[in-house]
Amino acid sequence: MAMNGSTGSPSQAKSRDRGEIFQEVQEVLVDALGVDNDEVTAEATLMGDLGAESIDFLDIVFRLEKAFGIKIPREELFPAESLMNNPEFINNGKLTEVGLAELREKIPHTDLAAFENNPDINKLGDLFTVGAIVNYIDIKLNAA
Amino acid sequence: MRIATMAEIMRFILIDKIVSLERGRVIKTVKNVSLAEEYLADHFPTFPVLPGVLLLEGLIESASWLVREAENFAHSMILLEEARNVKYKSFVAPGAQIEYTVEAKTIEENISSFAGFGESGGEQIVEAKFGLRHFNLADENSAMAATDAIIIENMKKRWELLR
Amino acid sequence: MLSNGVDTSQNGAFAEMRWIWIDKFVEFHSGESAVAVKNVTLTEEHLHDHFPGFPVMPETLMIEAMAQTSGILVGEANRFKEKVILAKVKKCVFFDYVKPGDTLKLYAKIESLAPEAASTSGKITCGEKLIAEIDLMFSHIDQNLAGKEFPKENFVFTDTFKSLLRNLPFDDGSSGALESGQD
Repeated sequence: MAMNGSTGSPSQAKSRDRGEIFQEVQEVLVDALGVDNDEVTAEATLMGDLGAESIDFLDIVFRLEKAFGIKIPREELFPAESLMNNPEFINNGKLTEVGLAELREKIPHTDLAAFENNPDINKLGDLFTVGAIVNYIDIKLNAA
Repeated sequence: MRIATMAEIMRFILIDKIVSLERGRVIKTVKNVSLAEEYLADHFPTFPVLPGVLLLEGLIESASWLVREAENFAHSMILLEEARNVKYKSFVAPGAQIEYTVEAKTIEENISSFAGFGESGGEQIVEAKFGLRHFNLADENSAMAATDAIIIENMKKRWELLR
Repeated sequence: MLSNGVDTSQNGAFAEMRWIWIDKFVEFHSGESAVAVKNVTLTEEHLHDHFPGFPVMPETLMIEAMAQTSGILVGEANRFKEKVILAKVKKCVFFDYVKPGDTLKLYAKIESLAPEAASTSGKITCGEKLIAEIDLMFSHIDQNLAGKEFPKENFVFTDTFKSLLRNLPFDDGSSGALESGQD
């Protein structure tokens, strides 16, 4: 339910439209990664295009939590690491069916069609786009 | 106030050699890490690694030489003004060598900005974006001009050792 | 000398330059914030290289002092069970330099705390002057660096820090040692 015009404290989750969410996410990524505003497009991948690494993912999660007033289990937003370390999910450098199912479940906020054609684990990083984060925040805020 | 001479043991210099320098643009330096460095006993016992802030210091010193050389040692004091997104990616242990590469984005009269990184054995160790400020003590207090001269003289001697 | 698995650094033979950059805590609010103090003195060897003729505390050592203040604050929040290591300097800004004879106050605050990491903000003052603002990120390395092996014991919080932790001022006005989690 939208709570338009609510004036809660910054730590309260407020409903926002996608445009506002995108702007806040952009600001977070500019600060966390030291990149320029115009590099942070919806299609930009966090790892490939913006140079994010393990510690940056944690920094991003903390900043998003503060910006949007929500709790974000790192696993929910960036599940790659646990998938990549589990032999059940990987075979020959690609995600298995079980692995793909696990991935689908973990990141409903991301379109996996292209990835499923060639589930190369080295390409897992490409899934994490700025747009995917915006989707995730959108879902999270509207579920409240 | 005790004035240091070259005869005294130098402890706080975090690069060993300047490998290459393109005036006002890029500098490459190296630092050897050795168990002889006393603070390693504390950092950490059973797992000695060069402290992250000293990796940043290596980058800062590298950048400082780029400034000093470009401005012909005009200023005595070169200090870190700000740093952001300083990321520590891996550890460097005794026996290893770090190679620093620092590129100047701008070098103006009293401020400069840089992007730098350090690697060791092909592995990324540290990266940072940072800015320095450079000045003479005499800028605020003309009585300090003699001190500026002493510092600059000492830094010129250090330059001869490192390049 | 260090030999396999046996930490002989406690012998003091190689401990000439200690790696402690704060002198004591004057406030400690577990899981929230802390204030520490650092005296800057001419007997500190490194000052004479930075710079020869005019000693000032290197900015990177001020970052380390803040990292130790914040790191202990973060570590104590988990009873020192985690190996808390500086992973990222998010941002630091320095407004003035610091000289021998100055006393620094370091204010640290936990901004976020998770099983794998923590984020802190902090400032350093000298008397009335604001010297620096320093925001850091720490990684709990056992939770993070998959595939890299570390010695089992907590080598981060060691005897070196024990003297600092022995008489921590607690919120209720009492003081005493903090308990370390056993591995």
